[in-house]
Amino acid sequence: MTVDTTLAEEHSRHWFPALRLRSRRVPVPVLVGTAVLALWVVVALTVQWWAPFGPLEPTSTRLSGPSLTHPFGTDALGRDVFTRTLYGAKISLRIAVIVIAASAGLGCLIGAVAGFFRGWVDEVLMRISDITLAFPPIVLAMAITAALGPGIGNAMIAMIIVWWPVYARLLRGQILVVREQDHVLAAVAMGASPRRLMARHILPLSMSSVLVNATMDFGQVVLLAASLSFIGLGAVPPEPEWGAMIRDGAARFYHWWVAAGPGLAILSVALASNFLGDGIRDFLDPSSRRR
Amino acid sequence: MLGTSRRWPYLVLVFLLLIFPVACGSGSSTPQEGGDATKAPTDAPSNGEQSGKRLVIARHTDINSLDPHRAFCDTCQIVITATYQRLVGLDLSDNRTLIPQLATEWSSNEDLTQYTFKLDERATFADGSPVEAKDVKWSLERLHNLKGSPSFFVDGLESIETPDDRTVVINLAKPDSAFLAKMASPYAAIVNSDLAMENGATADPDADTTDTAEAWFMSNSAGSGPYVLVSYRERDEIVLTANENFWGDPPAIKDVTIREVMDAVAQRQLLEGGDVSIAMQISPDVAADMQSGGDIIIENVPSFNFLYLVLSPGARGLGDELNPKVRQAIRYAIDYEGLIEVTLGGAGRKQATAIPNGFLGTENLPLPERDLDRARQLMAEGGYPDGFTIDARYPNMNVYGVDFNIMMQKIQTDLKEIGIELNLQPIEFAVWLEERVDPGIPVSAGYYAPDHTDPSQYIEYFGMIPGGAWAGRVGGPDAGDVVNDKVVELYAQALAASDEATRADLYGQIGREMIEEAYIIALMNPDLVLAYRSDVQGMHYSGCCNLEIAKLSWK
Repeated sequence: MTVDTTLAEEHSRHWFPALRLRSRRVPVPVLVGTAVLALWVVVALTVQWWAPFGPLEPTSTRLSGPSLTHPFGTDALGRDVFTRTLYGAKISLRIAVIVIAASAGLGCLIGAVAGFFRGWVDEVLMRISDITLAFPPIVLAMAITAALGPGIGNAMIAMIIVWWPVYARLLRGQILVVREQDHVLAAVAMGASPRRLMARHILPLSMSSVLVNATMDFGQVVLLAASLSFIGLGAVPPEPEWGAMIRDGAARFYHWWVAAGPGLAILSVALASNFLGDGIRDFLDPSSRRR
Repeated sequence: MLGTSRRWPYLVLVFLLLIFPVACGSGSSTPQEGGDATKAPTDAPSNGEQSGKRLVIARHTDINSLDPHRAFCDTCQIVITATYQRLVGLDLSDNRTLIPQLATEWSSNEDLTQYTFKLDERATFADGSPVEAKDVKWSLERLHNLKGSPSFFVDGLESIETPDDRTVVINLAKPDSAFLAKMASPYAAIVNSDLAMENGATADPDADTTDTAEAWFMSNSAGSGPYVLVSYRERDEIVLTANENFWGDPPAIKDVTIREVMDAVAQRQLLEGGDVSIAMQISPDVAADMQSGGDIIIENVPSFNFLYLVLSPGARGLGDELNPKVRQAIRYAIDYEGLIEVTLGGAGRKQATAIPNGFLGTENLPLPERDLDRARQLMAEGGYPDGFTIDARYPNMNVYGVDFNIMMQKIQTDLKEIGIELNLQPIEFAVWLEERVDPGIPVSAGYYAPDHTDPSQYIEYFGMIPGGAWAGRVGGPDAGDVVNDKVVELYAQALAASDEATRADLYGQIGREMIEEAYIIALMNPDLVLAYRSDVQGMHYSGCCNLEIAKLSWK
């Protein structure tokens, strides 16, 4: 990966200067992604004040198809699928934010230590992450959650354990590249302390890919959390979690709306975070931009 | 994880693929499973020539073994009933009367400890050799000595005498009025002892370690039934063909395949497409919008299956929460009609206690009713006017068309009305089997299907008697005292009574005790959906054996 010099100069002056909006046309997918995610965040924060029904409240009709009163129909217990899907955003987005923040934080810390100190520290930490990465994420997450017992908290712990090595490896790789660059070597020559080197010269340049990754992973974490709930390891009934709702609907092919609402919700979040992640990468790393 | 910056077209493609089946909604029959299974001609004319047509049955099989004395599963019942015979059979018109099968007549002594059977002289095995008393003796001893899952049917077996080739005398250690019904269970199959012994089977007391015939039984049958086993491929298909040497009326359909089809939706599609003629596990919800008439016939028939809630006051970590008053309160708090509606779309019935509707003694038992005032009062009397929070762990399953998650969420809503908060935790079936013993599960749920037609099995499984299955669990791993002496006494009387009216009365009294104890609360008795193509005749539900294939014919 090459970083052009102007960008490197900017990095040395500002924390995340690349995030400043330049006078460039923002691509449509990025706009869509941002809008969809923003909408979901607003929904998650405010749904309790305006949702038409309660998430656990049985209405008069069960398994009725989409209608004006129930845009996504009702489930087997007569609960409004639309309301439950909206409430599901609270659970799913909270899981995604916590898991991404924790695994990125943990992963970056480990990656930075490994990349900066090298030697045996690097060896030990990277072998641990190799071992974790050697398992398919869903299988490892299933095993950990099954061992800890079903529940959202345990599912989140499992997902953090599965996810941190991605960030550790990513940041370590970035640091290895950046620390050999001229401006860093110059700073070393001028006698900068390790802390200052890390904070002012190395991390700012390395963080961009972590941010891109975190945005893209957002959708994947939502998907993994839903998968765990789908197989009964994540959210326990009657929580309106998207995966658990799809599970309720999976056995009811002829009442497709029970699974369709939460399914569309997961799809929109996953797509939006991909769009947004692509867009952010284009901003931060012009060399990978394609027109 | 960086991916390409233009991955979204692929995601859109995946999305379109995902919504495709939904968009095609209730479209008829697109998805096909398996390739080359014999296709039933969908609109062939109804004429006699169809007798050569193969009958294909769709079923999610759960076979643990096809050795009749080791098997213990619903699909096993069907296959073993087709390939083997028992001493007595079951009259399908009432699912209770016993009829001659290998035995033409039978009698018992006064105190029900000795049963004598006279074998039919015409009876022969599929290889042409006669069915003799030694085969009966060998088979029942093998069933006993294998110590397998169905061995408990002959628990009380003391000795078997064979005065001549046609007479069998069975001596029991204790009176057992249910013994004849047990002999009608498929697992009491009479096996061709010479043929089985040639292939490693033995009936010796150490049969559980020295018998090596199980693998042979997985691809061969050695019975006198109307069919013989042609082949069995796990999770694929079971193939049967008519027994050419059958000594009774030959079955109307010669070739039969039971095809593995996992879920109700796939079964429905295969049935609608004409790929199978019978679909055995279509749930009431999936059947709800199917039209009966025309090519396909849908019948809801009463079954003997039921689902229950079980309360274990002895579970570890529990205080006095599940005392008798609270258990009664829970029984009154559940909205049974609503439960049947949300889980089965109404296709089920209430059941008084853990003895299914239609069994001896259940006629006059009071069905459960929701009464919230009474439930709240009982909660107060039990010392918990404000309720409590308690764990409910249950197998994460879908049985008889009932999704346990839906069922438990409904009960959670109901119990909230009297202040009880259930922490729902669906768990794996294998985990459930362990946890219900140790540490015990405070609130759980289960299901049960009969193995024979006598109510005794329900007392043994659900009654609070020494050695009772749930009696050993609800008291917790530290074996709290849950034995109900009155039930023990009544049950001993019932086993020693030969008169049906007396037994009905005794089982009725036991039922009332079980209702009063409320460790086991029967939730519902789901209907069974018989779904088949209109050219199949004689479709039925058998109380001992699920389905007797030999009773089917082409129209």
